[in-house]
Amino acid sequence: MPGYQSITSKMVRVPIGPGQEVYSRRGAMLAYTGRVHFAPSTTAGQGIAGALGRAVAGERTEMMHVTGQGSVMFGKAGLHVTVVELSGGDTLYVEADRLLVHDASLRVGTMFLGEQGGIGGVIRGAVSGQGLFTTTLTGDGSCALLTHGGVMEMPVTPQRPVHVDPQAYVAHRGRLQNKLTTAVGLRDLIGRGSGEAFQLQLVGDGVVYVQPSERKI
Amino acid sequence: MLAVELAGDTIRALNGSMVAYDGRMTFKRQGISGGEGLRGALKRRIAGEGMTLMEITGQGTVYLASEATEVTLVPLNGEAFFVESESLLALDGRLRTGVQFVGLRGMGTGQGLATTKVEGHGTVAILSDGPAIALEVTPQTPLSVDPHAYVAHSGQLRQDVVTDVNWRTVLGQGSGESVQFRYQGHGVVYVQPAERGGILEV
Repeated sequence: MPGYQSITSKMVRVPIGPGQEVYSRRGAMLAYTGRVHFAPSTTAGQGIAGALGRAVAGERTEMMHVTGQGSVMFGKAGLHVTVVELSGGDTLYVEADRLLVHDASLRVGTMFLGEQGGIGGVIRGAVSGQGLFTTTLTGDGSCALLTHGGVMEMPVTPQRPVHVDPQAYVAHRGRLQNKLTTAVGLRDLIGRGSGEAFQLQLVGDGVVYVQPSERKI
Repeated sequence: MLAVELAGDTIRALNGSMVAYDGRMTFKRQGISGGEGLRGALKRRIAGEGMTLMEITGQGTVYLASEATEVTLVPLNGEAFFVESESLLALDGRLRTGVQFVGLRGMGTGQGLATTKVEGHGTVAILSDGPAIALEVTPQTPLSVDPHAYVAHSGQLRQDVVTDVNWRTVLGQGSGESVQFRYQGHGVVYVQPAERGGILEV
């Protein structure tokens, strides 16, 4: 079964068949061929407990379950679409509203940011406008992310930590510790800062996806 | 997106345009004068050619971008380069900036009466909505551009406004191309494939 195929930088074609079902953002279908059914899904493949968790967490983007036989094209609002392949139990951490479509075979979860960075994670979510929870995808399969202007993959190694503007951060994978670093000086307090007072520091082994824009979705 | 390798040197960039970096970097907003002295600052204030830059110093690679727009690099070898302050992303620390009054041509286009002038040896990164193209101007081939698609120019160019206003324009039935900039002389004009006004809208 062929995987996700980028038609243009802003459109992706996803094959659908038996055993190849996907969840997508509701309303993101542009066109399809074959016999394909779209069913609204409140659980987004997470079960009742997951759905409750999502509702509490506010990581609730309306998803739909796509089944049948054929191929579907997805896209949204002219945003760039990036396909990410996951294998061997890799986990991708991403905001729910950036997720365009993902394989039903991937396990979806909601993670409290405090689990990852303690109180720092909570502050990080509040400052960067990402909220206190993030969505995780684990397993073997593909997913497609929405970004404003495409993404750059930046490898992170223990020797080479990377700093990212919280608004330009899209997603990350691998074993990464993230931490909000601040460089708030007197100048920021009087409104004459450089605009780079808060940064997300990623340390460890993995990849971070960065978009060339500071616009959230 | 623009990647800049720094080895202890300084660049100046649009405030808030950093998206990622590795290594050690410090970001400092430039003072009110923006490295142009008190007189320069006054001129800039009067001209309304507002520009907020920050100084980036450090070791490593810094990635700069703004609103997912295209970035074009322009090398300068001592000549003067004119750009709208809103189209400037980053420049070498060694380059000098200043304000240049351009006269009445800015009136009709909403670009104001002044433009930013960059001089010296180094590289300038400019922003454009879609990839910018460089159009050559020679004395034999003057160039006319849509004021909203104009991004920057360099060289010995004379700029005037050409109007093609007739009774149809007055009635609101114009072709939408009633005002143009005409460049004569020797130099290069950078044009973007989009018209400002809707700039930076998705």
